Amino acid sequence: MTTPAPPPAPRRGTPSRRTLLRAGGYGLAAAGLASTAANWDRLTASDIPGRDGSMLTVAILGSAIDPNQQSVLVEDFQRLHPGIKVRLLAVQATDWNDFFAKILTQIAAGSAPDVVYVATEGVQLFADRLGLALDDRVRRDAGELREFFADVHPSLVESMMYEGSLYQLPVEFNAADMYLSKKVLTRTGAELPPADWTRDDFTALLRDMKRAGGRGFTPFFWTNRLWGGVVPWLFANGTNVLTESKAPGGDWLWNTFYDPAMRRGRGGGFRWTTPQALDARVEEVYEYLASLVHDGLCSRPEGGSGTNLIGAFSTGRVGATPAGGFWAGGLSAAGVRRDAYDTQFFPRWRTQRHQYGAAGYAILRTSKRQDEAWEFVKYSVRKDVMTRLFQANETTPARRSMLTAERYAKTGPAHWDVFYDTLDRFPTTGPIPAPPQVAAVDLALTKHTATALGSRRGVRPALRALQRDLERAMERDV
Amino acid sequence: MTAVSYSSSSPTAPERLRERVGSLTARRLGTAARVAGLLVVALLTIGPVVWTVSTSLRSPAESFDLPPRLIPADGTLSAYRQVFGQLDVWLLALNSALVTGLIAVGQMITAGLAGYAFALLDFRFKRPLFGLVLATMMVPVQVTIVPVFLILKGMGLTDTLLALIVPAVPTAFGTFLMRQYFLTMPKELGEAAMIDGAGPWRIFRSVYAPLATPGLAIVGVLAFNYHWNEFFRPLILETSNQNFTMPLGLVSLQGNLGTGSISVVLAGVVLSMIPAVVVFVIGQRPLREGITSSGLKG
Amino acid sequence: MSSTDSTTHATTGTRAGRSRAARVTAWLFLAPTMLGVLVFTVVPIVGSVVLSFFHWDVIDRPTYAGLSNYGELTADTSILTAFRNTLLFMVLAVTLQLAVALVLALALQGRMPRWIQQALRSAFFFPLVLSAASISVVMKYLFNQDFGVVNWLLGQVGAAPVPWLTSEGWAMAAVVLVYVWQQFGFSFLLFVGGLANIPRELHEAAAMDGATGLRKHLRITIPLLSPTLLVASVVGVINALQVFEQPYVLTDGGPGDATRTAVMVLYQTAFEQLRFGEASAVGVVLFVLILAVTALQFRLSRRFVHYQ
Repeated sequence: MTTPAPPPAPRRGTPSRRTLLRAGGYGLAAAGLASTAANWDRLTASDIPGRDGSMLTVAILGSAIDPNQQSVLVEDFQRLHPGIKVRLLAVQATDWNDFFAKILTQIAAGSAPDVVYVATEGVQLFADRLGLALDDRVRRDAGELREFFADVHPSLVESMMYEGSLYQLPVEFNAADMYLSKKVLTRTGAELPPADWTRDDFTALLRDMKRAGGRGFTPFFWTNRLWGGVVPWLFANGTNVLTESKAPGGDWLWNTFYDPAMRRGRGGGFRWTTPQALDARVEEVYEYLASLVHDGLCSRPEGGSGTNLIGAFSTGRVGATPAGGFWAGGLSAAGVRRDAYDTQFFPRWRTQRHQYGAAGYAILRTSKRQDEAWEFVKYSVRKDVMTRLFQANETTPARRSMLTAERYAKTGPAHWDVFYDTLDRFPTTGPIPAPPQVAAVDLALTKHTATALGSRRGVRPALRALQRDLERAMERDV
Repeated sequence: MTAVSYSSSSPTAPERLRERVGSLTARRLGTAARVAGLLVVALLTIGPVVWTVSTSLRSPAESFDLPPRLIPADGTLSAYRQVFGQLDVWLLALNSALVTGLIAVGQMITAGLAGYAFALLDFRFKRPLFGLVLATMMVPVQVTIVPVFLILKGMGLTDTLLALIVPAVPTAFGTFLMRQYFLTMPKELGEAAMIDGAGPWRIFRSVYAPLATPGLAIVGVLAFNYHWNEFFRPLILETSNQNFTMPLGLVSLQGNLGTGSISVVLAGVVLSMIPAVVVFVIGQRPLREGITSSGLKG
Repeated sequence: MSSTDSTTHATTGTRAGRSRAARVTAWLFLAPTMLGVLVFTVVPIVGSVVLSFFHWDVIDRPTYAGLSNYGELTADTSILTAFRNTLLFMVLAVTLQLAVALVLALALQGRMPRWIQQALRSAFFFPLVLSAASISVVMKYLFNQDFGVVNWLLGQVGAAPVPWLTSEGWAMAAVVLVYVWQQFGFSFLLFVGGLANIPRELHEAAAMDGATGLRKHLRITIPLLSPTLLVASVVGVINALQVFEQPYVLTDGGPGDATRTAVMVLYQTAFEQLRFGEASAVGVVLFVLILAVTALQFRLSRRFVHYQ
């Protein structure tokens, strides 16, 4: 230490200031201690009842249900079943992955919940590894459930089956329909397209929009993700990234609840097996989307959630975008008037099959309260419960009878009926491909979609890489 | 010592004075250009924050207005009302304040003690132990979260606020910073006190610790900033709504499938920003002095 | 690491009793930190290392896997890419962060009204107060290709819209920019402190020798600031190699693998794909990498860092 840095000695007015500081310091310390002591119960959470696992625990995605509604959900259940103490765990995850991380950690620590809200992305993974088949209970309570199944499209039910058994009762779903900005349509001098419009009609409409749009306008906007990304186009072109088939079984359910017309072609749940990214129709889809990008009819899609889209859409900077019933609620919450936009089915290509994602409650095999859990699952699909939960149209209820003009009178588009007609009119409409290996499939798909559309002539190499990654993913057991 | 170091008052050699008069205008221009440049950078730095605040004050439909309107045409507090209607903001704030405050204070204490030991005391295995502490900075939280969860469960602490506090109190970064800080202090101070008959604890408490207050302020403010905004650990470690911290609570505002209003989401962000800003403002002075006088020698 | 370390050893140990008391004190002072580090970091790390030799999906019991998890790392091109990205990100982000902070700290030194100086200093530090995750959501808005403010600003000076988040090259740039925007304030503060500690006489001496502007900085300021530079770069590197939030929110690692980082891969492998053993292996490799880079920095610092 040749030239020691000067010690940080206090400056002017040293003694009084230091004394003051010290007094202040003691004061703060005392206040801190006092408030810590006063909040000891808060720190140790001993002010929360039922943390010892004596209750039926139900894990939900915290963002899915308004916190005020959450307590209503519990209280009403309590009124119906005074004997079952229920505890709602709102997992404050921003996406399914974070949600799953939380559930897994709890499983690792042996404190798994009894009931978990699971979307299509996780249906088969849960069924395969964690979930309890509901078959016996559904059969037992068939009388009670008849009304529910009559109100729910069989495709939604089938999407919650795995290898012949049912694991969840669908509560909500969202199909990818097309949202169109009325502002942009008017500017273009176009009408709302008809229900049976084709892919070429769609392209032509985008071109017209582009012509009338000017700078800072993008006719078509979409987000690169499993739901609502490339998959709607794959379905419309009659293909998929994994071969799709039906598991055998499930007759016990179809024969009990659905008439022959409705149960035709239904099986024991979807099977997604062999990767087929090199299928000619898959390539056709990518070439088509690449041509849209190239012609400036849409931008390269961003990854992640599409939250930043609402402002662009509502101000007429985007003409069309794929979204489901949930978006009606989102637009309304953002202050967009219901006559500023409308909805139509996704355009027809080789088929007009749509894709959707659904969700409902699954019971964990490890639960020691399976019967109580089953009561909650049945409770969750009651019409009065769903009506109260989905007031703001932040999703599409799985019950057909809930989609009424009245429901959408304030917050929905004029053609709100497409949301459920997507299922009724195109009965082959099915879930996004979500085998137990869904995480790896999702990752591979979004990753290589981005590179396929990232440069000219990028499609073929990207699809080869996609095929490779999918093969790797599907070889693994999860 | 003070923040402004080389301003106009610096004494000059006669040669330089002459040279200076000659190029005075050029210098003024240079200063003006430099200040202008700094202002541009400052604008870029706080621009996104201003945009966040102003978006929280208008309807989401206007969030994409270009040119961006920094002052909303007709401002509305409805987004903030919605936040308060939907969340128990006060409970979230209390939890966050308890967690963050106790972590900050705890870190100041443990880092002060350990940093002092590493810098000024003599003991075996000093270097390897210091290396070990440093190495803990190099492990991402995602790696250790499952084992940490299991350990906390063993202690009966999961789903309590203590689960967030206890593991975060020992701080590698704070220890590192305090060690560098104490290293700048002359050893002679302690030796003089020892000759006067002061014991080791006395020497720390009466001689060195008071000198280290600014350094401790840095540790405290940085700990507060970091843990106030922490998301992943609370997500995994807390389960009951009553134990949620601010960042966890705010997730509810995003709505089902991300359909929540951007204005409401950002109103939540702005609200949660306030305490961190307050601590920053309070801590600014000791922070400035602390960082200025630490020298931070490697 | 520092010259004071050796003096510490040289001057103590005179009287046995006193030095024993000092040792006991030292251990007491260290106890809270070391105990915490042991329980909440060392034990979990050892657990992770052990786990990296097992297959574990959380649901079933772990099974022994030998070295296969490490083999998996070298076989998976996407993991290799992630490590490459992480290193590239580290170099870009740390360089930019230090450069910006240094230039600003130096520029702020010159004459200007004190209140402007303080306002500027607060502004530069401000982003550090924000949460990385929420500000990244905001940044995603601002960097949108079609409707973002950034491209609008660029458009004002006649530039074509940049595909910030959707092109492989630009995405990395966007992630680096957002990261540096939030982080440079910390290095900046360190530099302000370091500069203030450079004895005034040295500047004056340099001025008398006729050194001005850039040359003065290169010859006098930078060498004298080198200890602070070391601290800033060590902390900068350790943080940058663990980057997660910004790419996770802004680009989700894309397009392709362009912005996928080591911690992202680790998170995805563990919590999305339920391969905790493999994720632990990624963690172990990352840890060794950070350790190596940090050790290298300290090694190099012996040549370049100048202690007063």
